[in-house]
Amino acid sequence: MKVRLSSEVKAMAIVAVLLASLLTYGVYKQNKVTVLEFGMFTGSNWEVANANSFIIIDEAIKRFEETHPKVKIHYYSGILREDYSEWFSRKLLQGKEPDVFMVLGTDFNQYASMGVLKNLNSLMELDSSFDKDKYFTSSLKTGQYGSNQYALPYETVPTLMFVNKTLLKKEGIDMPSADWTWDDMYDICAKATKDLDGDGMPDQFGCYNYTWRDAACASGIQLFSENGRSANIDEEGVVESVKFIRRLNSLNRDTKITREHFNGGSVAFMPLTFAEYRTYKTFPYKIRKYANFQWDCLTMPAGSNGENLSRVDTLLMGISNKTREEKLAWEFLKLLTYDEDIQTDIFRYSQGASVLKSVTGSDTMENIVQQDMEEGDTVISAELLSRVIEEGYVEAQFRNMNQAMALADSGIADILENETTIDSGLKILSRSIENYLEQDNRN
Amino acid sequence: MSDVKNRTVNLLQVLLLIINISAIYFLVIFVYVTTESIRRHYVARKFLDNVQSIPTNPQRSMIIVLVMGTVLVVTFLYRHYKKTIENKKLIASLVVDFMVAAVIMVELDFNYKGLLLLICANIITYLAGNKTKFIMAACTVSGYLLADYELISIYMPLYRISEYIQYYTADVQQLLYSVVNLLNSLNIIVFIIYCVYVMNAQSGTIDEINKLNHELQSANGQLKEYAEMTERMTQTRERNRLAREIHDTLGHTLTGIATGLDAAMALMDVSPEQTRKQLELLSKVSRDGIKDVRRSVNELRPDALERLSLEVAVRQMITEMAQVSSVDIYFETEEKNMRFDEDEENAIYRVIQESITNAVRHGKAKKIWITIERKDGELILEIKDNGIGCDNIKSGFGTKHIRERIDMLKGHVEFDGSKGFTVTAYIPIRWGENYD
Repeated sequence: MKVRLSSEVKAMAIVAVLLASLLTYGVYKQNKVTVLEFGMFTGSNWEVANANSFIIIDEAIKRFEETHPKVKIHYYSGILREDYSEWFSRKLLQGKEPDVFMVLGTDFNQYASMGVLKNLNSLMELDSSFDKDKYFTSSLKTGQYGSNQYALPYETVPTLMFVNKTLLKKEGIDMPSADWTWDDMYDICAKATKDLDGDGMPDQFGCYNYTWRDAACASGIQLFSENGRSANIDEEGVVESVKFIRRLNSLNRDTKITREHFNGGSVAFMPLTFAEYRTYKTFPYKIRKYANFQWDCLTMPAGSNGENLSRVDTLLMGISNKTREEKLAWEFLKLLTYDEDIQTDIFRYSQGASVLKSVTGSDTMENIVQQDMEEGDTVISAELLSRVIEEGYVEAQFRNMNQAMALADSGIADILENETTIDSGLKILSRSIENYLEQDNRN
Repeated sequence: MSDVKNRTVNLLQVLLLIINISAIYFLVIFVYVTTESIRRHYVARKFLDNVQSIPTNPQRSMIIVLVMGTVLVVTFLYRHYKKTIENKKLIASLVVDFMVAAVIMVELDFNYKGLLLLICANIITYLAGNKTKFIMAACTVSGYLLADYELISIYMPLYRISEYIQYYTADVQQLLYSVVNLLNSLNIIVFIIYCVYVMNAQSGTIDEINKLNHELQSANGQLKEYAEMTERMTQTRERNRLAREIHDTLGHTLTGIATGLDAAMALMDVSPEQTRKQLELLSKVSRDGIKDVRRSVNELRPDALERLSLEVAVRQMITEMAQVSSVDIYFETEEKNMRFDEDEENAIYRVIQESITNAVRHGKAKKIWITIERKDGELILEIKDNGIGCDNIKSGFGTKHIRERIDMLKGHVEFDGSKGFTVTAYIPIRWGENYD
């Protein structure tokens, strides 16, 4: 038997179906769990061993998921730092990069130029609870490309001068003060360089691994213009720096100093990062590596016209330009980089320093660092560390900056090796780098 | 458009479509395959060092472009096989094409803009010369100019197909470059050939139109001659009828009266009584004659006036004239009771008719205003038009008849050709007087 439905019944049925689907959608939307992808690598960014790298992130995720019950944060574990760049690039090529991710310093300008990273300017401005001045200037600047903020700093590490106190004491040399200069450094190196075993070649040295770039930082020179179109390699400050390196090298005559020399206690100075300082000051590395001498760290020496500036290396975190969860991504990024508790954990579980002035400059920081050390060891003061980071030297970010820097590095190594005239050698090098940059810009 | 040409145009259209679909499919599949190869070989980071930008999501792009390409084929087949398409649907299908092309170009990061040539070719073919065609063609051309890779890459990072080609070894690179360049050049060449063909075909159409137009003009000339001939024939017929009427009625009666009067004169002295009878008879004959004349005049009156009142007749004439000559005619009168004597009505009707004919024929007027009013016992009839007018009014310019008719009623008429053409007639109407 056929049943004919009246139009009223039909209309009611349609309304019922509509209501039901609306309700289902509402319930689905309510219960839907948003998954935020986080890209990170295992281990330390500073080439020191780190077993605790997950603790901070796990803590942050726990806190985030507590305050955002409908959000899950997912990350891929087990990607090593050396594989991270490739892993991320592969994700990127596929168009499936995470929403929030760590950005290595060597990748930042490339990604920013490609439009991979979200421009954070408006997010920062619209968030009233956010004040960018709480970050160290140098750390914040590392995440800038052009005039835009594309990433926020997470952890920073300044370069410090590692001093062999035992050697200095033996040679009757006083520990230099925090505002020491190239001249002081040269004098100490000259005094320390000695032929102890009498074979005609020196076997105790002034410094190891102090490069022209360390020197250039100390002269306060920007090696490239902000837009990455011209190189300043032939400027007075760089010439002075390279000349200083040549003078230092000439003290060693033809001996090639290696890390072994330093580890063996026969080198007075070596630049090292704050992360290395923290790692080697603590058990078990303290005993294994530098057991036979006392050491401490110091600011880098100031150049003839510069200040006691050193390079800072910063681990950045950014948001994908394609993320669908911009607000959540920003909140998570803010939690990782801006939250004082999470940032304090960096001193507890990592080897770098916090990017927040209030955290790095606090007594808590000194206490945490002290806990790892022996009674007699002096802890680097919060004030000194803050100053070094705040005034830290950051190179301008532009596309292919790494390649340009590699060109400069190898060119200057050639100049030092082949004893060519520094002024003209740098002029030629500068021009060839500018040629490279010009070509790159044209492409 | 000849069949051979039509076939060639169709063939070229299909060729254009095939080239474009091949190009976009090749590019999008090539980018996807290359991406996968890069990932498989773990050289992603090294690859990124050498590129300006990368596609947002190569797989998604590939799917979107494959689907969009199919849409282009479908709309093409729709236009090709459906012989009659409403203009609206045709434009809609072309707009869809345009939007699809835009999506594809965006997905390909503007690495290929040849699609716009395909769209342009379709617009040229399918849209007849109107505003829409112009607007859409302008859109496409400006799109072609603006969708330039170099231009857009200034404002946003775009990936470059050559950077993906450079991932391969030199010999493969050469092959890939040749494929890409070949497709690009082929597209432009086929497009140009296509345009030339379409232009040829359309100029053929224009020749045909010119020929038809010429034929139409000569036919029109012939028609005018016929019309004039018919008018002359009508005139002759009318004169013959008039002559016959006069001969039959007036002539007959007057002859009878003349003969009767002669008889009366002869009888007058013999028998006054007979004479009186004869005169009574003559009086009756002359009255019958008047009746006959009246009947004749009635027969000579325009049909409309015979049957209808003057106002209705005038309105009917106006409606008819307006219908046949596409002129707007306005008639206004304050006279409620427009009943005059027959000769007066006749004259008014004819003057109006003549004036409208003059306005349309000589003045090329588009609007005509007719007013009838009564002033100081006179009827003022004004016919005014917005035509070209004339500087000095020549007699015989259609005005002669009008003047004659008004003169017959002891009125006078004025003509003014300075602003359009105005005929103003002043007629001393015999208000309330009867003919009998």
